[in-house]
Amino acid sequence: MLKKLLPLFAAALCLLTACGGEKEKTFTVGFDANFPPYGFKDNNGEYTGFDLELAEEVARRNGWKLVKKPINWDAKDMELSSGNIDCIWNGFTINGREDKYEWTKPYVDNSQVVVVLKDSSINKHSDLAGKVVTVQTDTPIQKALKPDGDLKAIGNTFKELRTVANYNQAVMELEAGSCDAVAIDIGVANSKMNSGKFRMLEEPLMKEQYGIGFLKGNTELRDLVEKTLIEMVKDGTAAKISAKYFKGEDVLIIGK
Amino acid sequence: MANVFQVRNLKKSFGDKTVLKDISLAVGKGEVVAVIGPSGSGKTTFLRCATMLEDMDSGDLCFGDLCVVNSWTKAMARIKCGLVFQNFNLFPHFSVLQNITDAPIHVQKRDKNEVVETAMKLLKKMGLEDRADAYPCELSGGQQQRVSIARALAMNPEILFFDEPTSALDPELTNEILKVIRSLADEKMTMVIVTHEIDFAAAVADRIIFMADGYIVEEGPARELVANPKNERTRAFLAGLDKSSIF
Amino acid sequence: MFLADITLFQIVKQLSEGLLVSTEIFFLTLIFALPLGLLIAFGRMSKFAPLRWLCIFYISVLRGTPLMLQLLVWYFAPFYLFGIKLSSLAIGNIDYRFTAVIIGFALNYAAYFAEIYRSGIESMPKGQYEAATVLGYTKTQTFFRIIMPQVVKRILPPITNETITLVKDTSLAFSLAVLEMFTIAKEIASAQTTMMPFVIAGLFYYIFNFIVAAFMGWVEKKLNYYR
Repeated sequence: MLKKLLPLFAAALCLLTACGGEKEKTFTVGFDANFPPYGFKDNNGEYTGFDLELAEEVARRNGWKLVKKPINWDAKDMELSSGNIDCIWNGFTINGREDKYEWTKPYVDNSQVVVVLKDSSINKHSDLAGKVVTVQTDTPIQKALKPDGDLKAIGNTFKELRTVANYNQAVMELEAGSCDAVAIDIGVANSKMNSGKFRMLEEPLMKEQYGIGFLKGNTELRDLVEKTLIEMVKDGTAAKISAKYFKGEDVLIIGK
Repeated sequence: MANVFQVRNLKKSFGDKTVLKDISLAVGKGEVVAVIGPSGSGKTTFLRCATMLEDMDSGDLCFGDLCVVNSWTKAMARIKCGLVFQNFNLFPHFSVLQNITDAPIHVQKRDKNEVVETAMKLLKKMGLEDRADAYPCELSGGQQQRVSIARALAMNPEILFFDEPTSALDPELTNEILKVIRSLADEKMTMVIVTHEIDFAAAVADRIIFMADGYIVEEGPARELVANPKNERTRAFLAGLDKSSIF
Repeated sequence: MFLADITLFQIVKQLSEGLLVSTEIFFLTLIFALPLGLLIAFGRMSKFAPLRWLCIFYISVLRGTPLMLQLLVWYFAPFYLFGIKLSSLAIGNIDYRFTAVIIGFALNYAAYFAEIYRSGIESMPKGQYEAATVLGYTKTQTFFRIIMPQVVKRILPPITNETITLVKDTSLAFSLAVLEMFTIAKEIASAQTTMMPFVIAGLFYYIFNFIVAAFMGWVEKKLNYYR
């Protein structure tokens, strides 16, 4: 049975690793596959998303082979420093992590917004007082809402600041009524609006910017990727990709 | 008469308790010797030393010309002697036939067909030829004990030791075993039987050894020793047994 | 919207691919952990004290720390301890993260199996060893012909327990982002905001374990010819 399984398994792994093309230069992007629309699984089980498609184009233009490597978000730093991945490119917030990585210039403005159930009575930030608010672990918004964070003025009014493993779980908790609101990236929030079950507060909690994070000291690769990305913005390729994932909108802020 | 088994000045202690103080015994070919004595007399320890389940502290142990001096001679001596346990110790996962044939095939490396043939003959002698494919758990105690005797005999031992072969059995089954041992005696099988059943000992043995406190206190022809014990302790032991068999 | 509604067929198809990986983890773990556990059990019962202590320590650490943590350690240790690039540890097409999962699972389950073996071996009556000794069996023969077959029967129920736990534990491979069934279920759920992948994954785990339990029950019955 195993003999039969192994080739199948190897074939599945081919999706993730550079099979065959040993000599070709690879560009390995680490991402959290639970983060639509930046990185996720499509209906056929292929990894896709805004960031991954940008990365694909960057790799193509440099003659690299792109390797999409889904990682466990908790282990992202270890994956990066052990050389498993070349960069973290996955709606990766610069704010609060400025010194930890070799960053490109910010390429997307990402506000943190509050998502509530459609029929919720919460309409503005002050309505969150005494409510349970859920955030994803190890994110800048979680840090900001903590008693010593930048948004403690809002955070301290909550009944509870609850932390879960990923955005999807946060949204599930909201839907199931175990929390009153979710503080979430606007990109992810938009991707959840289609269900018609949720509503977004107009005023964002905080403005963040996404960048591509490289290992400290790896400026060479960082510069190359940044340069290519700016070229893509200039010739309109990036805007086309953005339109596909953000309802026709061009969310890019780099190179403008 | 050549000695099949001989032990000289055997001593054995566990911790600071000396169990065997000075035991010497020789058993001739075809002889049946019963070892009796009160519990704590050391008769079971003697048997375990004789079958090399326990190492003795000092003394000589010989099987014919072969004396046990190292692990090599010990392994050689092992296949010269058989032991029948009080609790049978059959291998529960083997059928009756496998119990008998496994060691001859895998230890002695004998021909499989020959071994199975021998085993079937032994089973027939034990009156169990129709139970060859049964498992030990399906047999009565007496049947199990007969299988364990067959298992020991299949190794063609030069001497066969019995450790209280009837004490785990219902009294009415004792006769089964007695019959088997007698028929073995008729075939000149050399046997040493440890037992506390004096009637049983008197019925099967040529010679009885009476042990007490780690010594052989008295020995003699079976009937004579039972009928006319010379030693005080032997007399007390036999008298005590009489009492217990009355009440 | 960048995604059309996913069909049930698409979910099942993707989860089946994950199930294949879960199944691989399951079988490879058993293949390595069952014999390794026996070796550790021997060490644990050894008369040579340093070896015995080593095995006691091994069992205590492997059972006393979370498997998820152990997986991270086996995965990242080559780099952090020896500076070896993890990509250089790939065997052909097999990524080192999969190898690390198998190492982690096998070493962890071996610790549990070792204690199960030990309990089985120590529960064997002394008479079985003595009968074998008197019949001239060597130590190796005694173990493999007489003791082990009986131990297997005795330890089957706890082994079944561990095996069923193993099926469910394969989902811990997500911590190294190995694409087993649960990792995939989470990914689909995130992309689609639906609970369906979890329901189907749960059903798959249950069916898997139903088969495992039925098989072990069959083996137990097979060994019931003696007591």
